[in-house]
Amino acid sequence: MEIDTQSPLPQGTVTIHVRHDLVSVDALLKTCYWFSRDFVCDVSRDSEKQSTVRLKPKAGSDHPLDEAQEQFMAAALDFALRERVTVQTLSVRDLLLAKAFSESGVLEEQPLGVFGDAVEEAKPDGMFKILSNS
Amino acid sequence: MARSFYPAEHYAPEPQQVSLLPFRFARLSGQELLVNEAGEFLFAPEGTTQSLADGVVDVRSELYKDLKAKHIVFDDTSSPLLDVLATKIRTKYDHLSGGTKLHIFVVTLRCEHSCHYCQVSRQTATKGEFDMSEATADRSISLMLDSPSPHVTLELQGGEPLLAFDIIQYIVPRAKEQAQLRGKGLDIVVTTNLACATDEMLTYFRDEGVRVSTSLDGPAFLHNKNRPRPGNDSYERAIDGIERSRAILGFNNVAALMTTTAASLDHVEEIIEEYVRRDFHTIFLRPISPYGFALKTKTKTGYEMERFLEFYKKGLNHILAINRGGYRLTEIYSQILLSKILTPQGTGYVDLQSPAGQAWNVLVYNYNGDVFASDESRMLAEMQDWTFRLGNVHRDNRHSLFTSEAALNMFEVSCNQSLAGCSDCAFQSYCGADPIYHHATQGDMYGHRPTSGFCKRNMEVIKHLFAFINEDDPQTMGIFWAWLTGNPLPVQVAKCD
Repeated sequence: MEIDTQSPLPQGTVTIHVRHDLVSVDALLKTCYWFSRDFVCDVSRDSEKQSTVRLKPKAGSDHPLDEAQEQFMAAALDFALRERVTVQTLSVRDLLLAKAFSESGVLEEQPLGVFGDAVEEAKPDGMFKILSNS
Repeated sequence: MARSFYPAEHYAPEPQQVSLLPFRFARLSGQELLVNEAGEFLFAPEGTTQSLADGVVDVRSELYKDLKAKHIVFDDTSSPLLDVLATKIRTKYDHLSGGTKLHIFVVTLRCEHSCHYCQVSRQTATKGEFDMSEATADRSISLMLDSPSPHVTLELQGGEPLLAFDIIQYIVPRAKEQAQLRGKGLDIVVTTNLACATDEMLTYFRDEGVRVSTSLDGPAFLHNKNRPRPGNDSYERAIDGIERSRAILGFNNVAALMTTTAASLDHVEEIIEEYVRRDFHTIFLRPISPYGFALKTKTKTGYEMERFLEFYKKGLNHILAINRGGYRLTEIYSQILLSKILTPQGTGYVDLQSPAGQAWNVLVYNYNGDVFASDESRMLAEMQDWTFRLGNVHRDNRHSLFTSEAALNMFEVSCNQSLAGCSDCAFQSYCGADPIYHHATQGDMYGHRPTSGFCKRNMEVIKHLFAFINEDDPQTMGIFWAWLTGNPLPVQVAKCD
């Protein structure tokens, strides 16, 4: 990501170019969501590989613009990181929740999913067993 | 002959495959706070989440052991513990089991007070048509006991419920009799300002096992300012009522709650001192609900959440100082959150539940039989907003209440796990979803977290508590644990000059 300091900008506006190999569109929009308290976030998709965000402080916002640039980029990278963790843990999360609630009788249908841990698969009452019941 | 042993690696082999478990993170005080699906947390160095996502964490490090112990990662040596994690998650969500536990009966809208912030569109004390009828009381009792919960709490509320003491005397024995017939446990509480409480009423409550919850907003100047009534003697009557209630019902059967108005904000220490002076051992620093008359009279009572948070933080510091001095005083909101952060337990506190506790864990039966998802939604109805009216005791049963359009609309946005702004939040398992608050304050049940007072309050309070936890001062943590366990306060550490 980079901050565009060259282009002529409306006063009090900052432009940030976001590369989607680093930050996905979803992660970018989540970042904009949180910044929408203090800024108008104008997002445009330049190409498959890049979007541009223009942050303009809302009336009454006392959020310093130079700080906002850094904070926006840090927040976007954090959302990208969260996305990676979510992708890596999605299956096991579904299974943990299924197990947590199925034993209390709340969940009537077992979810589909894959759980690749050999030790767990070998257990007669393990989570893999619950999955295979579906 | 030398005895040979297996090498240490035989007993603790290095893991061959490390996998991540679901967790969320936040950056606090130059560290990363990692929180797993059950709410267990770990403060870790900056960069830990990146290392985990990249799969480059050192499996021989102390940090790795901590990550395993906190169910952030698992490997071929720890996968059996996934069952434990599932059990911990189930424990955290225990509030979902059993059905609605708290049932609030609004026995009258009449009240002799005229508080600016009153959450009820009160009626004058002589209008009997705003009292609950016996037929409505009967149906409400029946619906209450239709809850699958084996133990329910009946809260008698108003208006000022003691103005309708006759209907209280009708409800209490019938509720007890019906609960016994159905094999259910029953607690009864009356929420009253005590201004009209006679010794005969209090004796009745003692004999029937009814506990008293009252209001104390602080010292006389503040309480009387917040709670005007003829004679301007609300405080004097409340104190007299508290003393007589304690004498008749027993000390532990009388509790007090305060409401924070704009007038309260500069007086948090005086409010706390008043609770100590009156020998209370709990205090709930809670903001005014943005409903009912509080919304209508915003200029008189309203304030920004920032100002409330200053009030809360200053108040908590003062409360901790009082505890350090040996007087046990628990701040309830902190206690609820600390319980969610530091113990496997969830909470019965409706506002901090996900799925939201409204309707699931509380139902309100209005004087005219209308059933609401919470007391706040009844307040909205008094402002002609019927969004959260689930039905009426004379037309509906439990099934139709819970499948009403009002209920289903609310349930759809009641899980913070799936709400924008909450789904990635590290504090998700400590917080709740409050569709009624967001409907009232933002005109949208779903809510917009960046501008939500609910989100701001809980984020700030949780961060504040985590700052104490991270600091790990033995005295402060000892006080927190004493609040959670009921154990004695930590002994004051002697200071040497």
